[in-house]
Amino acid sequence: MDTAINSSRRKFLVSSAGGFALGFVLPELLSISEADAAATGTQVNTWLNIGTDNSITLTVGASEMGQGSFSGLAQIMAEDLMVDFARIATVQGGPTLANPAPVGSAINTVGSSVTRRNYWPLRDAAASAREMLIQAAMARVGDAARANFSVTNGVIEHAPSGTTLTYGAVAAAAALLSAPVNAPLVPDNTFKAIGRPLRRVDIPAKVDGSAKYGIDVRLPGMVYAVIKHCPNFGGKLAATPVKPSNMIAVVPVSVAAGTGRGTETTSMVNAVAVVGSNTWDTWQAAKRLSVKWTLPPNASALNDAQFLADAQRLATNATPYVAGGANPPGTLYTVEASATDAKAALANSAKVVDATYTLPYVAHACMEVLSCTVDYVPGVKCDVYAPTQSARSVLALVVSLTGLKESQIKINTTYLGGGLGRKAETDFVSQAVQVAMAVKRPVQLFWPREEDFTRDQYRPMALIHAKVGLDVSGNVNAWTYRNVSPSILGQRGSVLGAKGDSQAYEASQDLPYAFGARLTEWVSHPSPIPVGFWRSVGASINTFGVESMIDELAAAARADPYDFRRRRITDPRWLAVLDAAAQLGNWSTPLPKGRARGIAIGTAFGSIVAQVVEISGSTSAIRINRVAVVIDCYLSVNPDSVDAQLVGGVVHGLNAALYGKQSFSQGAAQSRNFNRSRMIRPNEMPQVLTKIMPNPAVSDRSIAIGGVGELGVPTLAPALANAYFKLTGVRQRSLPFFPNATMGGL
Amino acid sequence: MPTYTLNVNGQNRTVTVSDGGMPLLWVLRDLLNLTGTKYGCGIEVCGACTVLVDGQREHSCVFDVSSAVGKNVVTIEGLSANRSHPAQKAWIDNQVPQCGYCQPGMIMTVAGAMKAGHRGSEIQSEVKNLCVCGTYQRIKQAISSL
Ligand code: FES
Ligand code: FES
Repeated sequence: MDTAINSSRRKFLVSSAGGFALGFVLPELLSISEADAAATGTQVNTWLNIGTDNSITLTVGASEMGQGSFSGLAQIMAEDLMVDFARIATVQGGPTLANPAPVGSAINTVGSSVTRRNYWPLRDAAASAREMLIQAAMARVGDAARANFSVTNGVIEHAPSGTTLTYGAVAAAAALLSAPVNAPLVPDNTFKAIGRPLRRVDIPAKVDGSAKYGIDVRLPGMVYAVIKHCPNFGGKLAATPVKPSNMIAVVPVSVAAGTGRGTETTSMVNAVAVVGSNTWDTWQAAKRLSVKWTLPPNASALNDAQFLADAQRLATNATPYVAGGANPPGTLYTVEASATDAKAALANSAKVVDATYTLPYVAHACMEVLSCTVDYVPGVKCDVYAPTQSARSVLALVVSLTGLKESQIKINTTYLGGGLGRKAETDFVSQAVQVAMAVKRPVQLFWPREEDFTRDQYRPMALIHAKVGLDVSGNVNAWTYRNVSPSILGQRGSVLGAKGDSQAYEASQDLPYAFGARLTEWVSHPSPIPVGFWRSVGASINTFGVESMIDELAAAARADPYDFRRRRITDPRWLAVLDAAAQLGNWSTPLPKGRARGIAIGTAFGSIVAQVVEISGSTSAIRINRVAVVIDCYLSVNPDSVDAQLVGGVVHGLNAALYGKQSFSQGAAQSRNFNRSRMIRPNEMPQVLTKIMPNPAVSDRSIAIGGVGELGVPTLAPALANAYFKLTGVRQRSLPFFPNATMGGL
Repeated sequence: MPTYTLNVNGQNRTVTVSDGGMPLLWVLRDLLNLTGTKYGCGIEVCGACTVLVDGQREHSCVFDVSSAVGKNVVTIEGLSANRSHPAQKAWIDNQVPQCGYCQPGMIMTVAGAMKAGHRGSEIQSEVKNLCVCGTYQRIKQAISSL
């Protein structure tokens, strides 16, 4: 097999392995221009292969966790390659997997980014590949007039002679050409794949048990390890426990550099892994194992009451950020401030609404618990099988833990049984590698559900204090907003700038409303409970604060909540989304007594989203009857996948708003399984209607495509709270609605 | 170390376990390499581990292997050849799964209800398994065709 690589143009790598292969870089959160800069052997993360047998394969570095991104990418590719979508096979790639040459840096799958960030690079790559194949056909036929050639489903036709050549027939010849610059794209008005509800490629394997998740990996000679952490965050192993006689090993596990958050400092031994011959026996041995832990000196301060007291203090009294200063937790950052002093302007307001909103820590609770399988041979190899959103970070981690070269390491990304941000973390991978290095045989590390709930990196708790003034005609003349919450980026070692943590303040600035003076602040809360990226991140917190307050202002101004928003939004895209949501949610149709609607609008990951939630009941029990969701993501690749993501996001948002809460006592998480973390069940599902604003007639590269995967979440909680106020007259300023709900067995 | 013979997906399989209280879930997954049946909670709350034992829906995370001796166990792998069970077809037609992790349990729950002679809305009210991805709306649609 000839794998000589021709990198005549930096944007693409061309190889003749098995026919024709085009390698390129798909960006993640990089800007497209950065991705354009270089396609080198170590950077390429995506390959398009066209076999001499006419097979078409797209090898993807991103992870599939149910968001349909594999299908979305294949759908985009199909358009400009001019082949039927069904002909493209998608394969999970990864760093250092040979196919045909190393797929260098895999993509980290975060920020609702896979489809939107890759749209244009993928279309360009497909168009270049198509033109190379056509050039090869032109040489074969001996006609240099491009206009004489056309393509139908991967068959090139030369009109004057009637000659047809398949892509496979010219693949080997095309691989010797250099990739063209600016190959023309298929015009929007002739799209056959983009914008269509095509069936997802991963679904058949998900209805017959054949889809392999991290927990399903089985290797010859594999043993099973079960993790047992110190129940208290910040606690460490006091003495290595005695190995039970029926077990293979008990391995102390430490926090690897770069994987610890908050209380978890590098090298501290905060867990043991019990190793045995199957999951169940090993898990029982781990439960019975008596382990002595040393609690941290501040354990007594690691509880909900203290976290709330700290937040309340910082809501009024925090030390401002100093450029170049130490800026320890507890620092006040100015996110946005108008030239006019907003606090002073409050004095001129006819009416002031002063409200404090609180949100708890929330666990990810992916349906699949964390697990990772490692086959390590000292000095020779380390094969990792993980349900990871961060294959690229995993590779770097394994290099640092094992000292092996990248070429000796394979990161195999399995299907993810939910990712939700939790599987972007690599703590569980580092633990599995440590166990494999200790036992020197293939091992699968398993986290029981109780470990998964109690050792999460939670959505940050938050306390938001907003004080907003209305003038005599009901216009907002002063908006002050301060969010106090632990810093996700700070816990990852970032040095925060003058505005603070972008993950914490997103969706609290650049609001769409015409306000007078405004002051938006964020204070880093000092709680060391590990926090992380939870579906829609800061938007899920700030949209609750902002859109609850907007509703309170509407009530204070005695205005209809939809109309109040409408009159203060000027951007036509925002207005169109708001109007569409009101229409889809039947806003103007009167409801019978005992039913009410609430509305909210917001933004995340470059998309605009609005929801109308309709509920019934009373303060003690509510039923969610109907939810209307409208999104403007500029361009949707697969409307059926967008619908699935939005509806799923509504459920996720409902679970969190109604019941989601993790409590702490002495640094130990209190909710340990689903029985203490209620979620809605199928029979409680509201009717959810979705609408996607239409794709542009002619898409414009300079307009960012918005994310979809996380967008169902942020407006749900405020729209629900706003409906609840309308229904009951009670303003729910603290989430969740029902913090003590439990869930019975099936 | 007791040894048991079970009939799983139409085949007799013999397993040796440390004690008869090992849940069927882990026997299937770790000893018989049938990983389609999933672990979600281990306490009979989520339904991800649902299998059929003599046609009845059982939560394999709490079902002792010793109790399955002499009975017919059907897992998602043995539900049909080529995804031909009506529930599997409906799941594909309605593009139900997202991450897919809960779906073997969902489909086996529905298959059990169908075996009991239940249909459509009757099944809808019986399916209570958790899906964190929130595919409930499409599950309802899929079931309505059964
Ligand atoms: S794993 Fe058996 S019900 Fe959840
Ligand atoms: S499809 Fe992911 S949990 Fe149900």
